[in-house]
Amino acid sequence: MNNKSPAVEIKNLSVRFGSFTAVDDISFSVQKGEIFGFLGANGAGKTTTIRVICGLLLPTSGEVTVAGEVSNSGENRLKEKVGYMSQKFTLYDDLTVGENLYFKAALRKIDNEAASKKIPELFKFIGFSHSPSTLVRELPTGAKQQISLAATLLHDPEIIFLDEPTAGVSPGVRDMFWKLIEKLAKEGKTVIVTTHYMDEAEQCRRIALMRSGRLIALDSPQGLKKSAYPEPLLRLSGLGRSDSELLAKISADPAVEKIWPFGMRYHASLKSEEQLESFKKRLPERVSVERISPSLDDVFLKLVEGAER
Amino acid sequence: MKSSLRVILGFLKKEFAQTLRDPVMRLFLFGAPLLQLTIFGYAITTEFKNLKLAVLLQPDDSVMRELSGHFYNSGWFTRAEAEQGDPEKALYSGAADAVLIAPPGGLTKALGRGNAGLQLLIDASNATKARIVEAYASSIVQKYAASRFPAREPGPGLSFNVRILYNPSLETSYFMVPGVMTMIIALITVMLTGMSMAREKEMGTFETIISAPLKNSEIVLGKTIPFVVLGMADALLVIAAGLLIFKVPIVGNLFVIFAASFIFVCTAVSAGLLISTFARTQQQAMMGTFLFIFPANLMSGIMFPIENMPLLLRAVAYINPIKYYASLLRNNMLKGSYPVVVLPDLAVLTLMLLVIVFITIRRFRRTLN
Repeated sequence: MNNKSPAVEIKNLSVRFGSFTAVDDISFSVQKGEIFGFLGANGAGKTTTIRVICGLLLPTSGEVTVAGEVSNSGENRLKEKVGYMSQKFTLYDDLTVGENLYFKAALRKIDNEAASKKIPELFKFIGFSHSPSTLVRELPTGAKQQISLAATLLHDPEIIFLDEPTAGVSPGVRDMFWKLIEKLAKEGKTVIVTTHYMDEAEQCRRIALMRSGRLIALDSPQGLKKSAYPEPLLRLSGLGRSDSELLAKISADPAVEKIWPFGMRYHASLKSEEQLESFKKRLPERVSVERISPSLDDVFLKLVEGAER
Repeated sequence: MKSSLRVILGFLKKEFAQTLRDPVMRLFLFGAPLLQLTIFGYAITTEFKNLKLAVLLQPDDSVMRELSGHFYNSGWFTRAEAEQGDPEKALYSGAADAVLIAPPGGLTKALGRGNAGLQLLIDASNATKARIVEAYASSIVQKYAASRFPAREPGPGLSFNVRILYNPSLETSYFMVPGVMTMIIALITVMLTGMSMAREKEMGTFETIISAPLKNSEIVLGKTIPFVVLGMADALLVIAAGLLIFKVPIVGNLFVIFAASFIFVCTAVSAGLLISTFARTQQQAMMGTFLFIFPANLMSGIMFPIENMPLLLRAVAYINPIKYYASLLRNNMLKGSYPVVVLPDLAVLTLMLLVIVFITIRRFRRTLN
């Protein structure tokens, strides 16, 4: 396998459960060493897609190639190449940290000697500070996630799938987790991660946006912003929720594409660059206008709503 | 091959740690069988002792007094009181199970006349009990008459000479204990295996197992061998308890009993895993276990004779693995390990094991589809 071939390649993948289509004809590829983000609401098909790539689900149709292994040559070939960290906690909470990791090593057919060399290395890598003889159920959530990651990395997979690794953990742990993800990518691993957090998505090289089983966008964060908002995006302050008369006037303005509340303020998108100056002049003085670059939240709102229309 | 061994050893360590660390599981595995065996072995008995008998007689009736002495010394009857004028009162009040009434004028005088009729009133609200009282009473009377009047032996000219084999003292526990042992081993092994697999699915840890590149057979063996070991430990414990607490004799070959237990434990473990392939949660696995185990126990011949069942139920009883193990245990413990007796049961049980294993492996999925 040469270095140019993608880590993961998916062609026309569909997954149906009975009459429900969870993943609907998607195709994409992930490059080696890339941090690849999966974004989408619950039920959008992210987890199903990942489970197929990891060999946990069989696709209804389509082809999956992982590190040169094609899915229809048997799902065990895929399983050897990938490490999968489920969004559910999948270690045994009535076993100790050590027992869990040695069991996982046995499942991966790593002998005891190799495992007892690898496990302390992983503890060091993830910065795990508890005793290996602690029962897993006695660990805080962040430490449980660390151990899940260690269990995922035990067999040194080329491609690592992390399904919402930071759901429900403290901001400190989230930060630490993303440092680990970057460290993995630097070591040449391919990391595919799903998340709900937009600030996490910003740290991905590329983002795939899913909705109702379909892939609705795939680009770098910058690229997504540019293609979603080619025209100016403005932040309007000094405008309250009770200013309904003014709001109606703004949204009826010929220059305005759309206006929507964003936190304490409003965001508005214009129809074209040229109308920016004249639009500013038509606003009352108490409203201040600032041109901003769109956040991924804006992109997400626009693309998902656009798909809904 | 060597790497598969590595996987199975991993499962062994993990299942033992999970099962034996939990005090509730330890109690379920080792405490409950002993408790059940004791309760079943002692309490469930078809033998009646301490039957309450009242005897109505005249103070000067010496023969009747002697006869009643034989009743009370038999070990089956205890003394109860009844009123001379209204003997039934003692029965319906529950003060007596039976009332023995001397003929008018007394038994001594009646025998002198050559025409002695004793009256026995029995409370037959429990029919089994009444029949046993009747049998006990007539045997005592006959024995007494035979010893006192050898010349005038009562009863028909033809008499049976009954010799009871294998359980000469007709101890119910000899019969019940092997049956109860079977039921306990079946319940615990099926439930333990089924619940453990369902737990993996319910808690999501099944994903950990199937995300590793393993063969179906490696997962199935990994999830069964630990429970075969635990089930065998339980079987040995229960057999030892049968020997030591109930003094059930082992006439047959101990090795044959172990072999039969091993095949049966394997069958029960596979049945547990098969049940878990239908269940997503521990609760469903538990319901599945009970759905299987209760009819299987009732139709195993342990408590109710299969010969008396309607044809359809008899057919079901013959595909019940519990029937064969119960029969193996009983025969080996009480009769002896004659190949004619043992081999057919062993063969059928082995065949059933193979069939269940085949279906389980066919149904087992190592994906989430």
